[in-house]
Amino acid sequence: MEKYLYIALFAPIIGSLVASLFAQSPKNYFTGIFTSALIFVSFVSSMILLNYVGEDVVVHVEIMDWISAGNLSIPFGFVVDQVSVIMMVTVTLVSTVVHIYSIGYMEHDKSFNRFFSWLSAFVFSMLVLVMSDNFIGLFIGWEGVGLCSWGLIGFWYHKHSASWAANEAFIMNRIADLGMLMGLFLIYWNIGSLQYNVVFANIVNLDLSTVTWIGIFLFIGAMGKSAQFPMHTWLADAMEGPTPVSALIHAATMVTAGVYLVVRASEIYTLIPDVGFFIASLGAFVAVFAATMALVNRDLKRIIAYSTLSQLGYMFVAGGLGAYWIALFHLMTHAFFKSLLFLGAGNVMHAMNDELDIKKMGGLYGAMRPTAILMSIASVALAGIYPLAGFFSKDKILEVAFDQGAYLLWFALFIGAGLTAFYSFRLVMLVFFGEKVHEKLGFHPHEAKPFVIYALTPLALLAIIAGFFEHSFHEFTTELLRDYEFSLDHSIGIILIFATSAIAISGILFAVYKYKRGGFSKSIENWGVYKLLKNQYYIPKFYEVAVMIPFTKASSFLWKSIDLRIVDATVDTIASIIYGSGEKARKIHTGNLSTMLRWMVVGLIVLLILAIFYRPVI
Amino acid sequence: MDHILSLIIFFPLVAGILGFFVSKDSIRVYGIVVAALEFSLTIALWLGFDANIDGFQFVENVTLISHFGMSYHLGVDGISLFLVILSTFMTLIALIGLSIKKDAKNLIISVLYLEMTMVGVFLSLDVILFYLFWEFSLVPMLYIIGAWGSDRRIYAAIKFFLYTFAGSVLMLVGILYMGYLYYQTTGVWSFSIPDWQLLVLPFNLQLWLFGAFFLAFAIKVPMFPFHTWLPYAHGQAPTIGSVILAAVLLKMGTYGMIRFLLPLFPDATIYFLYPIAIIAIVMVIYAAMVAYAQEDMKQVIAYSSISHMGIIILGTFALNAEGITGSIFLMISHGIVSGALFMLVGVIYDRRHTKMMSEFGGLAHSMPTFATIYGIMLMASVGLPLTIGFVGEFLSLMGFYRVNWIMTILAGSGIILGAVYMLNLYKKSFFGEITNEKNRGLKDVSGRELAALVPLVALVVILGIYPKPLLAPIDASVKKMIVLMEKKVLSPEAKDFILKVNSIKGGE
Repeated sequence: MEKYLYIALFAPIIGSLVASLFAQSPKNYFTGIFTSALIFVSFVSSMILLNYVGEDVVVHVEIMDWISAGNLSIPFGFVVDQVSVIMMVTVTLVSTVVHIYSIGYMEHDKSFNRFFSWLSAFVFSMLVLVMSDNFIGLFIGWEGVGLCSWGLIGFWYHKHSASWAANEAFIMNRIADLGMLMGLFLIYWNIGSLQYNVVFANIVNLDLSTVTWIGIFLFIGAMGKSAQFPMHTWLADAMEGPTPVSALIHAATMVTAGVYLVVRASEIYTLIPDVGFFIASLGAFVAVFAATMALVNRDLKRIIAYSTLSQLGYMFVAGGLGAYWIALFHLMTHAFFKSLLFLGAGNVMHAMNDELDIKKMGGLYGAMRPTAILMSIASVALAGIYPLAGFFSKDKILEVAFDQGAYLLWFALFIGAGLTAFYSFRLVMLVFFGEKVHEKLGFHPHEAKPFVIYALTPLALLAIIAGFFEHSFHEFTTELLRDYEFSLDHSIGIILIFATSAIAISGILFAVYKYKRGGFSKSIENWGVYKLLKNQYYIPKFYEVAVMIPFTKASSFLWKSIDLRIVDATVDTIASIIYGSGEKARKIHTGNLSTMLRWMVVGLIVLLILAIFYRPVI
Repeated sequence: MDHILSLIIFFPLVAGILGFFVSKDSIRVYGIVVAALEFSLTIALWLGFDANIDGFQFVENVTLISHFGMSYHLGVDGISLFLVILSTFMTLIALIGLSIKKDAKNLIISVLYLEMTMVGVFLSLDVILFYLFWEFSLVPMLYIIGAWGSDRRIYAAIKFFLYTFAGSVLMLVGILYMGYLYYQTTGVWSFSIPDWQLLVLPFNLQLWLFGAFFLAFAIKVPMFPFHTWLPYAHGQAPTIGSVILAAVLLKMGTYGMIRFLLPLFPDATIYFLYPIAIIAIVMVIYAAMVAYAQEDMKQVIAYSSISHMGIIILGTFALNAEGITGSIFLMISHGIVSGALFMLVGVIYDRRHTKMMSEFGGLAHSMPTFATIYGIMLMASVGLPLTIGFVGEFLSLMGFYRVNWIMTILAGSGIILGAVYMLNLYKKSFFGEITNEKNRGLKDVSGRELAALVPLVALVVILGIYPKPLLAPIDASVKKMIVLMEKKVLSPEAKDFILKVNSIKGGE
């Protein structure tokens, strides 16, 4: 079975390296097909491993030592267990679709080959992240996805906004990575190892405050990758990248890494329920916070981006409250419908010549029926309507919150569910139905190529049926993860399900009703709330005014006023004083014999005085 | 292999003298051949080096002036081995990448002399010999900056020379006093480092001597606030000067700290640990911010060197095997990466005769290979895992975490700020549309430049993935030194401190 582990792990990087050889040559379909095929191979291997892994059956390999110094020893080790194999399957499945899709999507891009090289490297990094058997290996993947997201968000580097967004994503992630690094140091100096099995076996022996700090530090890392408040701004700006990249970042690679970390470190978080509760609260806050921003945005991709943010909040609620398998389950179902949503959005963008304003679309159903259907399926799944995938996973999270007695969190998620349904269908209605605004603006939309649509069907299928795997998923993952025991009464559970479904359906109906009639009147755009939401709560503005500008000013102050004017000037002053005094003292040497004799007498007297009065201590 | 160390030191000297008789047209080839031979000598040294022995190997000891205990004493251990290889390697690379045609003969001979002094510093076990090489290294560099530099080269060269020289003089006083103390205690004179390491000094003497040595090293590193010679030196130096200066000369300072301060004055080291760590943190943050403010590409990298040296110092003063091994590895990796970055700046300077970032923009369009190599080096510089930059930075910070975690977070902000100034540089120079017409149609890296850069790229990746061949010998020698420190240290608190930072807590 180790063979399949190696294949699953290394196939993407081989694809990436081969594609990179063609980076500077003109477009070549070979790179696209070759990398897609290898990702598919990786997916097949992951499926084989999924079949193989079971109770007490895990695949574990250690390739070689990486870093060893002092007491520290870190190998390149990889493990395929119940959690990592789920991630592997999800990641490779979504990535395969994204790769095939991209062959069509990037067709006219002159950097076609470079794109596939980065894309496969992205998948490889994510696989390293989820398959590693130690925290440092995870950190390699962690930074690796950061690097690849930098390369892909800034893929169209000629655009200022793209390279800016790429840097923002990288730097924002780095801030969080520092927190994570601190967590790793703390683990190492307390346990002496960074291998998962050693750490989790010994974590109970540490005192609670240390474990709490470990939990906090690791979560800071997770916050950056999973774009939780206040480090969420990069995710929306990351929309500058090509759309398949967004699909990958949001569904499979990158943002789910934070959730994965919490699930993977569940042995740690179980010990510190207070930190867990904080994580859950932050998650619930983000779930609503992001959903509200999605309500008013007009940018097709940003709306979906905010919905990811909101759904990540849901996952963290589950993870924080100890329902790790549910968090993982929602991660998986979300990956399917979110990637579908993004790739559908990509079709729309292509049809609309990269126009993103949904108010300029409308009535696209006629021109692109398959895409419309696919995106509607994804939206229904996202809204959490029975029997689609989102229903099962999202409902479970709400149940957990209620079960824990965290009614406030439950209520937030409940509202969030309504908002999600509303903005999803606001998008669907504005894009595909209603008045054909795009005709007035002179767009001639056309459907994407058939193979692109076919590539999307597996995702659509999974978005519909993935929920029914709930029981087998539960059994499978709880072989490794701690199970979550519901103490909730069955009848209350049923009521909750109905309540949540009711609010979701009313959200959808309200959106459909409202936008059938041309939507809201223009006047709401003057409302304070609207402006607040439109400007993303002024947080990006705040970062600019409170962090970026002061930092730039402080840097240039340090350079021009401190470094040049004070530090360096001091050195030069000392030098010039010495030089100057030498220049002045030189005048003593006039060459006049009588002056020199006079100085000689002075020297003699000084020496005589010294000889009389100074007695060295022996 | 008996006299391989002497051979390594004096081969460049002899070759340099013979170089005067070589014709002007073939001097470049001659220089590269000499440097390549020298490099292969050091590789032979590595192959002959027994990683299981943690002490000095290939020792040569010939008494010169027995009356004063001065001898010709050479040796190599895990701490110095890779610095020697780094010196010869970077000299070779710098010579391959050399693009200066004017008076190339004199320049190459100066570089060969410089190589001798660098290698000499790392291989000397006699302190007087060490001091000779240490001071003599200033002379070729003075020429290189002063003769082949840019407009303000004389000012920069003099500043470099006088500043570092002033610091070293105090060290000379310290050396002589140390020799005298040895004489007082044992009745014989000795300037040999292994002898000195056995000497246990009273605390207050340690403080004074520590100060004398520290100042010289601090200026060389350069530590804040003694760093201002560096931006001028880099700003004015030709590419080859910057490469060697950043890659090797700065490392002499941190090497000195590990070789002298820690084992000779362990109590004083612990006494001064926090103040030095604070300076190191200030260096990291301050230099990173100043780097961000720069408009000149080369200055960004110059200040980034200062910032990285801060991490090296922090790792050194972690006083545990993780930290010190990490800091030595970081010296090597910073040598390779900063050398490569200076070389890359040289590549673009040769084409555009400017280093101002505002003059560039969109270079990724016209020079894709150049942009790729630059990108790799940039990522190594910000310490991305699986590049060479990560290993040392990670270990250094990890080591210091055991001493103080808040200070480690502050120093760790270097990895954020490093990304800020480096990505900013990259964005300004390489991304965006080509706005300046002069940047259109620039020639991508040439074969000669590739020959210099590709080995560096390869090392960055290979040693990032498999650093063990370097880490193992370094770690062995470092562990030996820590045991020595622990044995020598006077006060029980200091002993506890060393034991504490070298142990896993598991509840304290």
